Amino acid sequence: MILLVCLAAIWLTGFGLVRWMFPRPLGWSLHSVLLLSLGIGAGAGIASCLYFLSLVAVGPNLAVMASVTGGAAIVALAFGLLNRREGTLLAWAEGPEPPWYLRGLFLLAIALAILTFLVAVSNNPHGDQGAWSIWNLRARFLFRAGAFWRDAFSNDLDWSHPDYPLLLPGLVALCWKLAGESTTAPIAIAFLFALATAGVLTGVLGVLRGKTQALVGGTLLLGTASFIALSAAEYSDVPLSFYFLATLALLCLQDRHPEDLRFSALAGLMAGFAAWTRNEGIIFLAAVIVARVAAALRFRDRSGLAPLAPQMLRLIAGLLLPLAVVVFFKLRIGGASDLWSQKAAVVLQRLADPGRWIMTAQGLVVVIFTLGRFLISIVPVLALYWYLVRFQVQDERDRTALATGVLALGLTLAIQLLMDILFVENLTVEIGTSFERDVLQLWPAGVFLFFLASGPLQLAAAEKPVPGKKTSKKALKPSRRAAETR
Amino acid sequence: MARHKFAVIALAAIALCSTFWALLDVLVNVSHNQIFGVASFENRFDEFRKTVRPHSVYGYVSDNAPNDPSARPEFYLTQYSLAPALVKSTADENLVIVNFHSTKPDYGLLRTNRLAPVQDFGNGVILCRRVQ
Repeated sequence: MILLVCLAAIWLTGFGLVRWMFPRPLGWSLHSVLLLSLGIGAGAGIASCLYFLSLVAVGPNLAVMASVTGGAAIVALAFGLLNRREGTLLAWAEGPEPPWYLRGLFLLAIALAILTFLVAVSNNPHGDQGAWSIWNLRARFLFRAGAFWRDAFSNDLDWSHPDYPLLLPGLVALCWKLAGESTTAPIAIAFLFALATAGVLTGVLGVLRGKTQALVGGTLLLGTASFIALSAAEYSDVPLSFYFLATLALLCLQDRHPEDLRFSALAGLMAGFAAWTRNEGIIFLAAVIVARVAAALRFRDRSGLAPLAPQMLRLIAGLLLPLAVVVFFKLRIGGASDLWSQKAAVVLQRLADPGRWIMTAQGLVVVIFTLGRFLISIVPVLALYWYLVRFQVQDERDRTALATGVLALGLTLAIQLLMDILFVENLTVEIGTSFERDVLQLWPAGVFLFFLASGPLQLAAAEKPVPGKKTSKKALKPSRRAAETR
Repeated sequence: MARHKFAVIALAAIALCSTFWALLDVLVNVSHNQIFGVASFENRFDEFRKTVRPHSVYGYVSDNAPNDPSARPEFYLTQYSLAPALVKSTADENLVIVNFHSTKPDYGLLRTNRLAPVQDFGNGVILCRRVQ
């Protein structure tokens, strides 16, 4: 019960913040679903940062932790609910209603994903080895060690990567501090991040492309068996994939609503939380900034680069707090990274070894063709889908966002692979254990970009004009404007 | 329209069948008992964990063969079970945890590592002291 209250407080902190940024009257709508989904990630990031800062400032004091967590939820909710301003409305893009079977398939995908998750975690409540030997182990140290919480970053635990950022272990340790230690907390957090990822993907696709694309995209993500398995394994890859997706999706919304710079600020916050989740998040953060500038240069319109400066300023403002926490952690608290302790001569030797490049390329190809544990490789299936539906950017404003997304994901993957080539001693083991997870981190954002670029779907027969009945052109044509601003 | 319908249904069907297949895999795994899984390891070290204090450091020795692939995961599991104590994969500590796979201790291994038993916690878990 206390755990539920604790998780609710974390969620409401995030929901309050995003509702303060995008206020609309309360009610069951796509807008609310999106805010609730984004709120999970925002709340998790804020709560984890506050936990870490409290721990550093006053140690593991229960009263302080409870006050900070509860206080943050109350303040954020007050800001979110008492805001009388009317912000940008995130509504379904106009278009034909999806057929009944598509809704049915989507609901079936949700049910199967939840069932698979629940059976997997009931069988393996501590998660897979990567989860308990890194993330849950760190959380145990933070929670159990009391005043000696810095032992979590001891060099004696170098095999457990004591330099990894603390979003996930911090969040689990906070829940344990407030509600007592159990395997339920990391399981609930894993579930919430998977739910939030599906919510953001479906919601933002709904805003930008309409219900049909949203349902197909959501079905594909929830039907990705290894994504659900990864979530149930309590790895940090799913939270990281949430932050990747949320950052890129918010930048797409920014391009649709250039007048509302809060999208960039929230995208910056999400990118910052990605860096607080895993080291790969730091790579993504840099990649997304480079990609944003490059895409704006390539697809600039008559106004040139003028709109980019205020957007980038908001983006940087959004990521400042989490990035400051990451920098402080890396410089003052976190253990030594095994990457930088390697000799330059060895690294250069690896760089010049063509065998390592070929092995990495081979590993990547195999992972891409077996990604997701689909019964048939998803690559030819998506190629067939593309052949039948075609790519067609529906709104010119999506071009910059699409280019930003593709470039950011490409750069992130390329840098990760380069790091593996340069710094990983046993590349065979790395390919076997990490490559699929590296690609799955990018999968939700990749699915989002795929369906954003996909052509309009026509699944129902167009209405025949009936004499005496006016057929709305709007109802048959997908609209250029996906969401309205009031 | 038929092309689009086929594309969507094929994509969704493959996704759903794959998740269903994964669900069956998970159900099969449920029926397999893991003797050295996390939960059983936690149970084996339950009594020992009650004696552990934060900031304490233990060495670790086991009767796993040198090339046994489960040796490292078992060491990690020991650290996970005994956190917040620090466990080091060496016999060169004052106090050493010995992880035997049978309830009968291998005294030869203890002698080789110059270890004297301090307390037997059962289930093959013994706390030893390094003999100088």
